[in-house]
Amino acid sequence: MNHQHFNKVMIVGLLVAAFALPLVVRSATYMHILVLLLFYAYLTTSWNIVGGFAGVLPLGHAAFVGIGAYTSTILSLQYGVSPWLGMLVGGVLATIAGVIIGLPTLKMRGAYFALATIAFAEGFRVMVENIDYIGPLKLNGPRGLQIPPLETGLTSFMFATKEPYYYIILVMLLAVMLLTYIISRSKLGYYLIAGGEEPEAAMALGVNVARARLIAMAVSSFLTALAGTFYAQFSLYIHPKSIISLDMSFEIAFIALIGGRGSIIGPLLGAMLLRPVSDFCRIYFGDTLPGMHLIIFGLVLIFVMYYQPRGLQEPLSRMYQRLFTRKTLATTGR
Amino acid sequence: MLYIIEDMINGVLMGSIYGLTAMGLTIIFGVLKVINFAHGSLLMVGMYATYWAITLTGVHPYLALAMVIPAMFIFGYYLQAIVIKPIFIAEKNVREPITVIIVTTGIWYILDNLALLVFGPQYRSLADNPLKGKMLEVGGMFVSQPKLFGFITAIITASTIHWFLQKTVMGRAIRATSMDREAASLMGINQYRIYNVAFGIGAATTGIAAVTLLPFYNVFPTVGVLFDIKCFIIVVLGGLGSISGALLGGIIIGLIESVGPQFMTATWTEAIVYGLFLLVLFVKPSGLFGQKHDW
Repeated sequence: MNHQHFNKVMIVGLLVAAFALPLVVRSATYMHILVLLLFYAYLTTSWNIVGGFAGVLPLGHAAFVGIGAYTSTILSLQYGVSPWLGMLVGGVLATIAGVIIGLPTLKMRGAYFALATIAFAEGFRVMVENIDYIGPLKLNGPRGLQIPPLETGLTSFMFATKEPYYYIILVMLLAVMLLTYIISRSKLGYYLIAGGEEPEAAMALGVNVARARLIAMAVSSFLTALAGTFYAQFSLYIHPKSIISLDMSFEIAFIALIGGRGSIIGPLLGAMLLRPVSDFCRIYFGDTLPGMHLIIFGLVLIFVMYYQPRGLQEPLSRMYQRLFTRKTLATTGR
Repeated sequence: MLYIIEDMINGVLMGSIYGLTAMGLTIIFGVLKVINFAHGSLLMVGMYATYWAITLTGVHPYLALAMVIPAMFIFGYYLQAIVIKPIFIAEKNVREPITVIIVTTGIWYILDNLALLVFGPQYRSLADNPLKGKMLEVGGMFVSQPKLFGFITAIITASTIHWFLQKTVMGRAIRATSMDREAASLMGINQYRIYNVAFGIGAATTGIAAVTLLPFYNVFPTVGVLFDIKCFIIVVLGGLGSISGALLGGIIIGLIESVGPQFMTATWTEAIVYGLFLLVLFVKPSGLFGQKHDW
């Protein structure tokens, strides 16, 4: 059994396990936690395309989630458009927003870019909170939008149980991870990584760093907006404070940084490590120790930055590598 | 007409206090070249320190300065020395220390939620407050007294820091480090100690802001977040690293917030502030008064 073969077996095994998980987990609470875990893994993987590979620090991705959620919800509530179509429209709108915000800011130094994205997301939130109507479109200001339950089914993107949501977000996550893999092997990926590590050197070699970053930003905002629609359909209620919140933008970045920015598996790993911490802290310490999970997040973040600035994926994949080597030694009898 | 003048005066006063809160951020950025995302948390810590200093000892709100300034200096000094410095050393060769920004974000989350854990979510204001709601009447216009004191404090603080940086040996060392760390190190300046001191001064300045805020402001665990973004906007507006820029940036924000509601819904002024910020960022990222080496 060679190296690649073993890896393939592992991946297939994990995939089967992921698809079989709802058969084992029967509790709705745990399913909810799992769906949110995958939702955040998806968001972080999308964030990673620009925040990880391109080496900049976007801290306003919640704005794209908001654009996606509001677009599909308004379209389906007022015009009866299927959320699936609204999802794509939201993605396109978010791409436009991402390019507009990226054009002037992606050339900036790290801190400025981070601040610009924060200001963009917060400004967007304040605007949504203050607007009840844009022409015929009802945004409902700070009260948000409630999605009344319709007939359930795939076309209406509405289900009575949590399992369908789980499979939808799982497929979305796998697709975006595959896309990240393809990007990381493509010319664009190399440009991004080169520009992220040594912008001047990359530019001197003829890499158009700004253009590569802009493409990454466009792809990332498109993908992020798709998750917005998913969230709207999953929770059936969106309002600006929850869906365009700074906390969400920061949590996405935290998960990526702790898991390992710029790696394919890092965001999923980060979500698997952090989401349960925050969910269980909320369930068990929510009343007695409020904010406990955020203290843990902060501490983990600082320690990871100290000891593993490239995220936890690095030691973990090394451990996996070592475990695997021992196994091959055992099977080949050397 | 009188209303607008009254609003403008109050806007300038409140704005100068905003400027004072942002001054610590700009000092820290000027030297460390890092945006301290935990700045709002420093303000929150300062406000709780002030609150407890006044509540436990019963001194006049402004006398708390004598306790809060040294306490905050020590807090900032050791926060940098213990938590942030190791990252700086690890990232010595990286010009753009994003990791440091991330660590300050971690500090923000830890401090804010520790405060929530220890003090609870309730809003606290000074129980025995001689300045509460005190107004000064000038020609038919009312001006808030604690805000006027805040304005005076902001001016004094800005000039003191300016004097300190220009005239003292330590100030020169700080300016030298902010201009060129390597060159300063070669001149025998211990750059990490300068970072500690700069962080301490930044925190102490934020402590002064906390003392001026408390007589008319509530303190609660997330109070820093309200000022955080505002401070970021102010320092970029005024030019990162510029002290007078922070003051002027603060006054601009204060004016928008106080005069704006005459013409639109009050909540819209916030959107205007963000818009203005993005505009400055796009058009002139060095800010209105920022230069490459402002001080």
